[in-house]
Amino acid sequence: MLVSDVRAQLPEDARRTAQTSASVAASAKKARPSGFTREAAAPQGQGQGPVNPRLLPDISAVGDLIGDLSPDGSTQEDGTRFGVREIEIALQAAVDPSFRGDVFLGFSDEEGVHIEQAYLTATSLPWALEVRLGRYLMPVTKQNTTHRHDLHTIEHSYATQRFLGAEGAKGTGVWVSRVISPFKFYQEVILTVTDRLGEAPEDLVVEESTNEDLSGLAYSARLRNYWDLSQSTNLEVSGSVLTGKLEQPVVGAADGINAVTARQSLYGVDVTFRWRPLQQGLYKSLIVQAEYMRQMNDDPGALPPPEVPTVPVVYAGLTQSLNGGYLFGRYQISRRGYVGGRFDIVDDPLFGGDRSKAASGYLIYYPSEFSKLVAGYERFMPGSGSATNRILLQAAFALGPHRPHPF
Amino acid sequence: MIQMTLRVLRNSAIVLGALAAMALPAAGQLRVVTSTTDLYDIAKAVGGNKITAVHIGEGYQDPHFIEPKPSFVLQLQKADVWAYVGLDLEIGWMPLLLDGAKNAKIRAGGSGHLNASQVISVLDVARGNVDRSQGDVHPLGNPHYWLDPDNARKIAKLFRDEFVELDTENEPVYDANLKAWNAKLEAAEAGWRDDLAAIKGKPVVAWHTSWRYLAEYTGMNIVGFIEPKPGVPPSAAHLAGLVNTMKQKNAKVIIMEPFYDKKTADKVARETGAQVLVLPPSVGGLKGLDDYISVMKYDIHTLATALK
Repeated sequence: MLVSDVRAQLPEDARRTAQTSASVAASAKKARPSGFTREAAAPQGQGQGPVNPRLLPDISAVGDLIGDLSPDGSTQEDGTRFGVREIEIALQAAVDPSFRGDVFLGFSDEEGVHIEQAYLTATSLPWALEVRLGRYLMPVTKQNTTHRHDLHTIEHSYATQRFLGAEGAKGTGVWVSRVISPFKFYQEVILTVTDRLGEAPEDLVVEESTNEDLSGLAYSARLRNYWDLSQSTNLEVSGSVLTGKLEQPVVGAADGINAVTARQSLYGVDVTFRWRPLQQGLYKSLIVQAEYMRQMNDDPGALPPPEVPTVPVVYAGLTQSLNGGYLFGRYQISRRGYVGGRFDIVDDPLFGGDRSKAASGYLIYYPSEFSKLVAGYERFMPGSGSATNRILLQAAFALGPHRPHPF
Repeated sequence: MIQMTLRVLRNSAIVLGALAAMALPAAGQLRVVTSTTDLYDIAKAVGGNKITAVHIGEGYQDPHFIEPKPSFVLQLQKADVWAYVGLDLEIGWMPLLLDGAKNAKIRAGGSGHLNASQVISVLDVARGNVDRSQGDVHPLGNPHYWLDPDNARKIAKLFRDEFVELDTENEPVYDANLKAWNAKLEAAEAGWRDDLAAIKGKPVVAWHTSWRYLAEYTGMNIVGFIEPKPGVPPSAAHLAGLVNTMKQKNAKVIIMEPFYDKKTADKVARETGAQVLVLPPSVGGLKGLDDYISVMKYDIHTLATALK
């Protein structure tokens, strides 16, 4: 087969590349100073052919291993001293010219196999809209959009854990977002509607499910605002709101009912300051982050009929508003080493709304971008009862082409 | 009152119009965003006043580890061309920016998605199986190819072809700009011929594999690297071995980029009597080196002076 025949069969881009390479090689040879020639090799890299000729998705795995050396016994939910907290398998690829797909499966001793996230993202919508369909980490508060193994700390903040869940909140529904810049700085609006607020509790039975009518679905909105303060410093100030209905316990209802639906709303503000000098960016950086959250629990209104007519049904859910937040800082001390600390404060629903506090410090070592070793000490002062000391260790690793995480 | 209001509105419209005119490129100009300053400079040389261009990374910054700041998304949202080095150099941050920009023109497969590596004769393409035990490997090949002027010519031609495809009307302008830039580069090469003679065959040690293409062009002999594997900081044992190698091979120059910690190179230099050269790998890597040809001239001349 002649070279010209081969070229005729090439797609336009490849043909252009081949022509460019040939003509450039000729002109380059002419221009090269005598005595310093080298023969031009055949174009390689992209010219060798596609990287992924079988159209396989990017497959990656993340391991999250945990150790708990706390002096008064393990503080892990399952009581182990050493455990595999989670293994996450990710499959990611373009579905077709209009969509990309992202699937994250979680494997853990506690939860078995579960769908962490699975969403279809429309990539070709007008007005630079992004629409996702499926299950995703809820875009509320700063921490919640980060996978637990990717946090700067070993666990989510106590405010996040208490108000959104130990692993953060997920939702299944529709996500719409758009980057805007009406004031010449970066802003992003993210709106979601999901099937429900949080995970469905296994042991609470209600008369009407939370999604019986559309007002019972969960709705969230987040506005991100980002400024470059200088080449090496930037600031993000964002606000979030999440509202929906969830099951709250009642006592003394008829027909096996033990819960009613009640509205719960969360308001959050987060601030993140980053410093990373461009030239010394491999060795020096600083992140300071603070979040404040307020959870508001509405009165459920009408309660279900009592089991015993003379004994009124008692609402045992939350009605008060709870506040929480944290202040976190992490400073890079070497190319691979970081020190960090966090102070938490939260009106703790596990202690009837009494205020819990925690102070923690971390040493973090990244052998590479694909592995992380963390040692942490935490003093937890619960809303009631005596303080406990926790010593936690974490090792996390990533295999395969894991996509970069959101900034 | 009504007249005053109208006047305020009219003046506001004039101010807003002027601001908009300043913020937007002139009609018909292609908006080009590049990942590095080198691509930016070559694109500007070829595009001239028919394009506006901005770059994401700075010349004194490690291009592997650029933060995908949201402000870059705004630049990419309206870009007609996104030009990048490729070979996974930008793998740690480019996908986030392209996803965030939601600009079909510059996504993979779009008319303005320009992977400059497609016209390069790539060095160090992985043979057989690779994994990360080999360090920060680039399976598709070494991405630091712009440090060979022959490759810069190919990139310039690629830009010309891209701009002509998107803006056929101005083909003669792009052709003329390309010709002028090639002539400038050719003249510069003639000027540094003696420096190349001084460099050829001389042993040097480099920090990272980024100088492989410069070595190909100049004929300098890289006898060792400060990094034991690409992207991996050196251990004491590796540095001890490197000191021995340098003594055996009589390597008297260590070259490194401005974004690495010079203390390590200084330590090796003290033990071997070598000289550490901090060479800019990109446009803007040192103050005053604001175009590609100046960077190459500086690097080659500095090397030659140290190796004479």
